[in-house]
Amino acid sequence: MNLLLEIVLKNGLLLDAVGVIGLGLLGLAAIKLARRDQSWGGTMMSVGAIALLLARLYLLVSPHIIDDSILHMIGPIGISLTIAVPPLLLTLGLAGIVWGLWGHERWLSEESL
Amino acid sequence: MMQIPPLPLASIEAVRPVFLIIMGIFLMVIAWRLSKIATGWAARMIVAGALLLGFGYAIVMPLYEAGVIERYAPGRTHYHGTAATALAWQAVKLLSMNCGWLFFGLGVALHAKLLSAPAPRRATNPSTFVSNESAA
Repeated sequence: MNLLLEIVLKNGLLLDAVGVIGLGLLGLAAIKLARRDQSWGGTMMSVGAIALLLARLYLLVSPHIIDDSILHMIGPIGISLTIAVPPLLLTLGLAGIVWGLWGHERWLSEESL
Repeated sequence: MMQIPPLPLASIEAVRPVFLIIMGIFLMVIAWRLSKIATGWAARMIVAGALLLGFGYAIVMPLYEAGVIERYAPGRTHYHGTAATALAWQAVKLLSMNCGWLFFGLGVALHAKLLSAPAPRRATNPSTFVSNESAA
């Protein structure tokens, strides 16, 4: 395999770090928007960004910490939660960010009128 | 040639891909409208990020969910297609999603003036400084 592809893909750390940094910036900026402008879009966007960050961190960490003993400890409901919650967080996070961005855009255009 | 499995639109299995497509398109449209209000590099970064994310969410992710593109896993040896194709799509997905979030986050951060330095503090009472100097 090509060396560059190997660095980028095999451990995936570089690109994941890029994505996590972007999401973190998005969350911080949304919180600042919400505090400075009192626009509800910023709050919604920060909630969405935090949900996406949580799901992504879980997906990054889970292969290293989840093993049979933990699965045995949390039981069937916990196992189904580990399957169900990350996609739910990803979906809701994306919806929150898009909704928040829409709200902020509407707030801005009302402000500029 | 890979057979595309039949996937009726808006059935329970197709809700998430349809949702992702709608969100991706909506994100691009809102970013375009926001770019008319925001100015300069913030607008450019937001639009660039939204285009990458829209490509990722509206095209690549639904293709993954529909099973048209095979998932790449490092230890996996058996693919229906070729391993190189799966690897290439994995690269496309990782690049578009992660760089999309980075650009979008940077754009919104610039828009919120998160990265700019705070306004320099004004000297509150310059007259004392002047009088001291004249006394010396």
